[in-house]
Amino acid sequence: MTKTDIQRQLTTVFRDVFDDPRLELNDSTTAQDVENWDSITHVDLIGAVEKSFGIRFTVKDIRGLTNVGDFIRLIASLVK
Amino acid sequence: MLKNDRSGLDYYALVKKAKRLIPGHGEKLKLALLADVSTQHLLPLLRVLFAEAGIDAEIYEGGYDTIQLEAYNPASGLYSFQPQIVVILQSLMKLKGQFYDFPEDRGNFSRIQADSIEKLWKAIQSRSPASIIQSTFVIPCERPFGNFGQKVTDHLQDAVRELNRELCLRGRLQPGVFIDDIDHIAAWVGRRHFLDERLWGLAKTLCALEFLPDVAQSLVDIALASIGRAVKCVVLDLDNTLWGGVVGDDGLEGIGLGDLDEGGAFRSFQQYLRELSRRGIMLAVCSKNNETLARQVFQEHSGMVLKEEHIAVFVANWDDKATNIRRIRETLNIGFDSMVFLDDNPFERNLVRQLIPQIIVPELPEEPALYVRFLSELNLFETASHSSLDSQRNILYQEQQKRAAESGKFGDLNEYLQSLDTEAAFKPFEPANLSRIAQLIQRSNQFNLTTRRYAESECGAIMNDAENFFPFTIALRDRVGDFGLINIVILRLRRPDGALEIDTFLMSCRVLQRGVEEYAMNKIFEYARHCRYERVVGRYIPTAKNVMVKDFFQRFGFVCVEDSGAAGSEWSLRVDDYVARKVFIREQPLHPPVPVPAAVAEE
Repeated sequence: MTKTDIQRQLTTVFRDVFDDPRLELNDSTTAQDVENWDSITHVDLIGAVEKSFGIRFTVKDIRGLTNVGDFIRLIASLVK
Repeated sequence: MLKNDRSGLDYYALVKKAKRLIPGHGEKLKLALLADVSTQHLLPLLRVLFAEAGIDAEIYEGGYDTIQLEAYNPASGLYSFQPQIVVILQSLMKLKGQFYDFPEDRGNFSRIQADSIEKLWKAIQSRSPASIIQSTFVIPCERPFGNFGQKVTDHLQDAVRELNRELCLRGRLQPGVFIDDIDHIAAWVGRRHFLDERLWGLAKTLCALEFLPDVAQSLVDIALASIGRAVKCVVLDLDNTLWGGVVGDDGLEGIGLGDLDEGGAFRSFQQYLRELSRRGIMLAVCSKNNETLARQVFQEHSGMVLKEEHIAVFVANWDDKATNIRRIRETLNIGFDSMVFLDDNPFERNLVRQLIPQIIVPELPEEPALYVRFLSELNLFETASHSSLDSQRNILYQEQQKRAAESGKFGDLNEYLQSLDTEAAFKPFEPANLSRIAQLIQRSNQFNLTTRRYAESECGAIMNDAENFFPFTIALRDRVGDFGLINIVILRLRRPDGALEIDTFLMSCRVLQRGVEEYAMNKIFEYARHCRYERVVGRYIPTAKNVMVKDFFQRFGFVCVEDSGAAGSEWSLRVDDYVARKVFIREQPLHPPVPVPAAVAEE
């Protein structure tokens, strides 16, 4: 999977979880930039990303995320 | 209950629905959620699933891990919220910590935990009339002894098993406490999938997000049953539903029913249905068939588990099924929303769904061997009460049919009523009758003037408060059979003006037009006269189902003093102005007390 593929698929997941069809992501997007991205929706997001990509994160992975760029790199390291 | 299959329980779809939910529709219900896990993910699911069941739930969320604080503080938010239902949701993960840190002999762990939970129930019940829903704990996967753990007790798995068992045993003795068997859900979906230790670390959720909807649904199911929403009747097709093949084509000996192949599947299905009947669900037959031939299968086929005696109403003809189901409903006097229709034929299912939208029509799997599993997964038959006599419901109904047949012989209604030789037992509330009283209060929809759903604990409180209440019941029997306790009246002293108020007046629909309401009203005014009340007052509060009693007070000469439309109307009658009604009911002496048999369907 290329970075673009991951970003495209991740955007779909974000749009679904945050219920915003116009939401756009870039590497530096953080929780502050997305409406309703709080500790509760973060758990929803993790679950939805795992399901969509067929991967499992570790708690350490999840705690280490600071922005969407991290997210994409993490996914890239886990997908076959 | 799930009306169709588990596809409605997708976590993400429900969360999305929750965002679009418009509150304020349906029957109101106040539920408090106390948990030692985080409930933020569960809350939106509960809201949506309640809304889908037609309930406008107002939910109080206790703080994280504050169950004891809420329960033991009389000034807590829990009590000022005045919930109808209190949910206590506890997790294996918390329990595990307590087990491993337990300073005393581990042999006492389960009993001490159960003691403390039981104390919690009692604390809540001493301060609130709410029903309680207590979760069980998920049996853990860890097995330090391997299979040898079955032979020793000093480990977590055994402690949790024992604790769950203790909770069930104590719950049986504690009216108003319901057990939500979370471990059953976990076992059904697979405990290793249900428990998510990572998510516990991250967010303290009870289980994997994926299965939170199942947990929410089971809470909704119990809550609904506790306010009287329950399935009362299963309507059954015959050919290819109760047996393999078509009896009209294949003949009595040709149908598939026995030990082998499909025949075995149909037999297990019938065993399941017979269990439902024992448990008080009425069974009805609705089949496109020749009635004589259809009945012959019940009478003569050796493979049949169900017999004619299990069937409350038997309809086999060539009319369309919606028409026949309407007939069944009329005879049983219950709501369509308390009926389930089972038919292997998709055409018939769709027809019935379209013509009677309120009825529950599960999409049965094609494979009959999977019928029982499929229906169990929907959890259609949740209930909040059970009396050992529930299984006699079909007999009671068959007696009713006999009476109906006899009433045809008499020209004059009074003559007929006299011939029935009816006897009534009039009694104040008694401890022995409380569970039946609460059951009738939960179930009665049609002949119910105020539809106030008092829980068993509240009925007990009313019984003991002689300064403010005079609650009584009427049990009835006649030449043909025994109806048991069928009428409940709660009279209350209205403080401001000293009038005697009819707080509750409800009756089982099985005894309509027998003069029971006249008899009860005579009793009310006898009591009022005896206690020197000047006036009797009452309210009619309209619901979707009780239009039958709209003119009830008028019939007895009450005058309407206030009509607030949907909010109800208030009626009043001077005691001196009441004219006692003539009834054909003999009063039974109070001793020896009459045994009180079971409920019937819609009451």
